[in-house]
Amino acid sequence: MSANKIKTVLIDLSGTIHVDDEEISGSKESLTRLRSQNVNIKFITNTTKESKQSARHVIEKRNVRPFMMVDDRALEDFKGIQTDNPNAVLIGLAPDKFNYKTMNTAFRLIQDGCPLIAIHKARYYKKTDELALGPGPFVTALEYATDTTAHTVGKPQASFFLSSVEEFNCRPEECVMIGDDVRDDINGAQKTGMLGILVKTGKYRIGDEDKINSKPFKVVDDFQQAVEVIENELM
Amino acid sequence: MSWCKNVKGVLLDITGVLFESGASEPIKGSIEAIKRLKDSKIPVRFCTNETTKTRQKLLQKLHSIGFSMKEDDVFPPIPACCQILKSRGLRPHLVVNPDALSDFCEINQENPNCVVLGDATDNFSYQNLNKAFQLLMSLETPVLFALGGGKYYKEGSDLILDVGPFAKALEYACDVEAEIVGKPSKSFFGAVLQDLGQPAESVVMIGDDIVNDVGGAQSCGMRGVQVRTGKYRPSDENHPTVKADGYVDNLAHAIDLILQS
Repeated sequence: MSANKIKTVLIDLSGTIHVDDEEISGSKESLTRLRSQNVNIKFITNTTKESKQSARHVIEKRNVRPFMMVDDRALEDFKGIQTDNPNAVLIGLAPDKFNYKTMNTAFRLIQDGCPLIAIHKARYYKKTDELALGPGPFVTALEYATDTTAHTVGKPQASFFLSSVEEFNCRPEECVMIGDDVRDDINGAQKTGMLGILVKTGKYRIGDEDKINSKPFKVVDDFQQAVEVIENELM
Repeated sequence: MSWCKNVKGVLLDITGVLFESGASEPIKGSIEAIKRLKDSKIPVRFCTNETTKTRQKLLQKLHSIGFSMKEDDVFPPIPACCQILKSRGLRPHLVVNPDALSDFCEINQENPNCVVLGDATDNFSYQNLNKAFQLLMSLETPVLFALGGGKYYKEGSDLILDVGPFAKALEYACDVEAEIVGKPSKSFFGAVLQDLGQPAESVVMIGDDIVNDVGGAQSCGMRGVQVRTGKYRPSDENHPTVKADGYVDNLAHAIDLILQS
């Protein structure tokens, strides 16, 4: 694959730069180096305001009152959204809300025709010393129970990747995505025409790169190596 | 109506066909219907995905409502699952209803190397599912059993989630395919048919679940009939993939048609 000159670097955070409160060794330094280069840098992650703002936009556009399966700390991002007498379901990463009772409430709403909006569909994420379920499995459960497909807002939706680089006025071929999730980061980005660099940190498990049809542009040990690849091959 | 001709055996779903989930009375006419069927010498077996209680407790409930079937004629998933676990030397991590736990008492559960997911109801918590997920991810060959593949059922006036969606959740998270023990699995229906001693084409399965009862039976070569009780919804009659051989108001209606022809 002949690589283009890269104008924009998209970077996943959790599992790529850090795990919980801990930096993945060498990330800060590499990031500083990358910043001194002539490229746009943007963090694109399902855990920051970006995806929640996109979700908020969808809720406002569809003018619905969601039943919120969203972490209490994220509720701030949805201030002002009407939630009484709900006619939609919104799901984010919310371990405290994923229980039989709320799942049944969501199920009945969707069964009655309410749309299901997913902030993202990550299968799992990496905590300090273990993997933990993401919202994806719970979204999938509700999709299966109701024979519907969720409106997914964040990664791996193509629109999410494309809208995040809109401000830089560059083509997808001029962008590279660095992340630890082979499907949501790498496959999602590559489907839009971007390059994907998979790091073997965070949630990465041996053989992940074989789980997608078009292989990642590169598979590297960590973020530091990803930056080296960009400096050496893509500039 | 051709589905009710030459019937030599009948499989009956329990919940939603004999009684409504959560209720303590039979669905009208169902006790008498089973008696009429037995009087006519057509063999009957009860084929259920009930895993919220032990087989013994299920039987007690049926008897207290007024039914009189024998334990050997009732086929729930847990005893079938225990047989599979034993024969394959598997030690389960159980995500099941506390009221069903004692049906697993003879199974070694130390140092688990597979996950068994039943209708755990309130035990379908994030913590419990997360534990099952972590175990599956730690296994070189992850094995997940789902006790039935139902999407939902009716309890009181509400529809509630069954085990199927939670099995899908773990399948999605771990990239595994669950082995279903119970309806609509072919081996489960096969074992019941063998006990019944009749060829599939002479047997009618009557249930309220269009996919698992009706579709499952049809894919084993039986006829599948849906009752308009239990979790039945009018839209089931236009289901995109399953067309029942017949739709009847309730069990009594089905048995009448079978015995008349």
